[in-house]
Amino acid sequence: MLSRRDFLKLVIKGAIMGNFCELIAPSLAQSVVAGEVKKLPVVMIETGTCTGDSISLDNIWTPTFSDILSNIVDWRYDWSMMQTQGASAYKVLQETYEKMPNEYILIVQGSMIQRDNGHYNHVVFDNGKLITGLELVRRMGLKAKYVVAIGSCATFGGPVAGYPNPTQATGVQNILPERRVINVSGCPAHPDWIMGTLLHLALYGEPELEKFGRPKLFYAETVHNRCPRRRDYDQGIFATDIGQKQCLFRVGCKGPVTYADCPIRRWNDHLNWPIGCNTPCIGCTEPGYPDLMSPFTAHLPDIPFPGGTKVSTDAIGLGVLGLTSVALVGHAATALYNGRLQKNLLKASVKAPNRPSVKKVKTIHQYKLKKNMK
Amino acid sequence: MKQPFKMRKPVLIKLKRASIKGEMVLFQPIWVRIFHWGFAASLTVILLTGLELHKPANFLILNYGKVLTAHLVFGWFALGFVALRIADALIQRDNSLIPKIHDLKRLPKLMAYYFFLRPAPPPSRKYNSGQLLIYFSWFLLFLVASLLGLVSYWQGKHLIWLWHLVGGFQVLRWIKFTITIYFLATIPVHIYLSSTEDISRLQAMVTGYERKPPNNS
Ligand code: HEM
Ligand code: SF4
Repeated sequence: MLSRRDFLKLVIKGAIMGNFCELIAPSLAQSVVAGEVKKLPVVMIETGTCTGDSISLDNIWTPTFSDILSNIVDWRYDWSMMQTQGASAYKVLQETYEKMPNEYILIVQGSMIQRDNGHYNHVVFDNGKLITGLELVRRMGLKAKYVVAIGSCATFGGPVAGYPNPTQATGVQNILPERRVINVSGCPAHPDWIMGTLLHLALYGEPELEKFGRPKLFYAETVHNRCPRRRDYDQGIFATDIGQKQCLFRVGCKGPVTYADCPIRRWNDHLNWPIGCNTPCIGCTEPGYPDLMSPFTAHLPDIPFPGGTKVSTDAIGLGVLGLTSVALVGHAATALYNGRLQKNLLKASVKAPNRPSVKKVKTIHQYKLKKNMK
Repeated sequence: MKQPFKMRKPVLIKLKRASIKGEMVLFQPIWVRIFHWGFAASLTVILLTGLELHKPANFLILNYGKVLTAHLVFGWFALGFVALRIADALIQRDNSLIPKIHDLKRLPKLMAYYFFLRPAPPPSRKYNSGQLLIYFSWFLLFLVASLLGLVSYWQGKHLIWLWHLVGGFQVLRWIKFTITIYFLATIPVHIYLSSTEDISRLQAMVTGYERKPPNNS
């Protein structure tokens, strides 16, 4: 069986070569055949989501996602991939829940809709009763061996929880405080991040997690730290418009605040990635995305004001400084006009009859008294 | 002239003797003055480099790594000066910078003075209530900004709880930017008032001494 050390090497090598799944699949399939590793039972629940992570996962290339499904994991329940539907599909979910407690991995894709007890998000039909995503995720989550949230929505609320968040959406960890949720964030999450995390769970258990519960395997370093345009940044060479070849910091790149390995792993089968095609990183793996990262073309988020307008941070800053200057100039003019300025200055310089006068001693910068003159 | 290195004290003594109608009083002890000018210089660098980090000016083409280094180095300097001032305050039992209730009660009257509704400011301790509010808020905000600076400096290696508390790197930057704007808005007020209200206080920050005004004038 593949050792964990080799696995970690493949994570990096696969990122650079763009063939992580290809590298890792054969030895895994062998392990499964040899019985060293059990096929992982996986159920995926989709809640408030666009199914983007399924599409992303589907983008695994040699071996294809279907190779993985047939050889490595026991992919039991997943709306996008299942052949069956309705009651017979739900039966599979129920069976997994009852017969495989603490064995299956629960993947959640999509945010948890909390408004009105979650009734804006029904996910299954149970004996004529509509079950909310909230309820199903909690029920399945409490008995799962691992809970993995994939995509920005399931991890931190994502676009669904964006301002003004009408459905009170949030991430899985917030509604499942009893469990440690493994967050594989991203909008969408990279297929390698999802598969890599699943395989690590199958082979070696829980991977090391960073500050927001994301596997350090993929989220240990900022985009900025590994960016090929970092040299531009360090020398202060910036693009002034999107589409230019220099560092995109000035046009709002969130690489410095975003933890992900996109610069080396890239997207679409290692073909390219946002900064590679001259558009700034939008920070999709971070909590608070997209509100905190938008506008994507500005450095700091705009501030929402009551009434629905948003004002840019820089404009507010300039406004405050402008007001201060106006206030000071106004004050000075008034003080000059009504004589306060003159009064204050004169008061501070009382002329005493024996006002000591000093002359500078040349060699050292100190002062010495002149002869005391009447 | 013969012994220039011994001049300093004699000069002061003579200065004191010479001013018949005024008495020399120590208003700003040496450590306060060192703190004030050291901190002011460091903070200026911090604020300017912070703004450059926030939004690099195209016409400057500064080396970014060096701007960050300057920001960090002067951040440490400023922290050092604050530490000096705190130590000095503890040793001298100097509470002149801590606002008290009875100071704040005079704030409305002081504001009335600043808005030309009263001819004179109300009496105060070493600093008046407006000064106390500004200085104390600077002190707090400087510590907050420095702590947040350390959080981004360590990149999640330490102080993870704070990272969680503020809710991510973008919020952290945003808070630091807001604090910078606050400093930039209040520092000019400070400079304006200290150069127009009582300019002898300004020179006391250089020499340390003030001349007590002659009686009844
Ligand atoms: C009064 C104190 C301080 C102020 C007002 C201040 C202000 C700022 C500002 C405005 C920025 C740019 C934020 C942005 O991206 O918009 C910044 C960045 C930064 N500051 Fe400070 N700072 C202070 C102290 C410190 C200290 C003491 C440290 C370190 C020990 C520090 C470390 C940093 C770092 C590492 C960055 C870069 C963050 C990034 O990558 O965006 N700061 N600071
Ligand atoms: S393009 Fe973005 S990630 Fe790359 S160096 Fe510039 S700011 Fe950093």
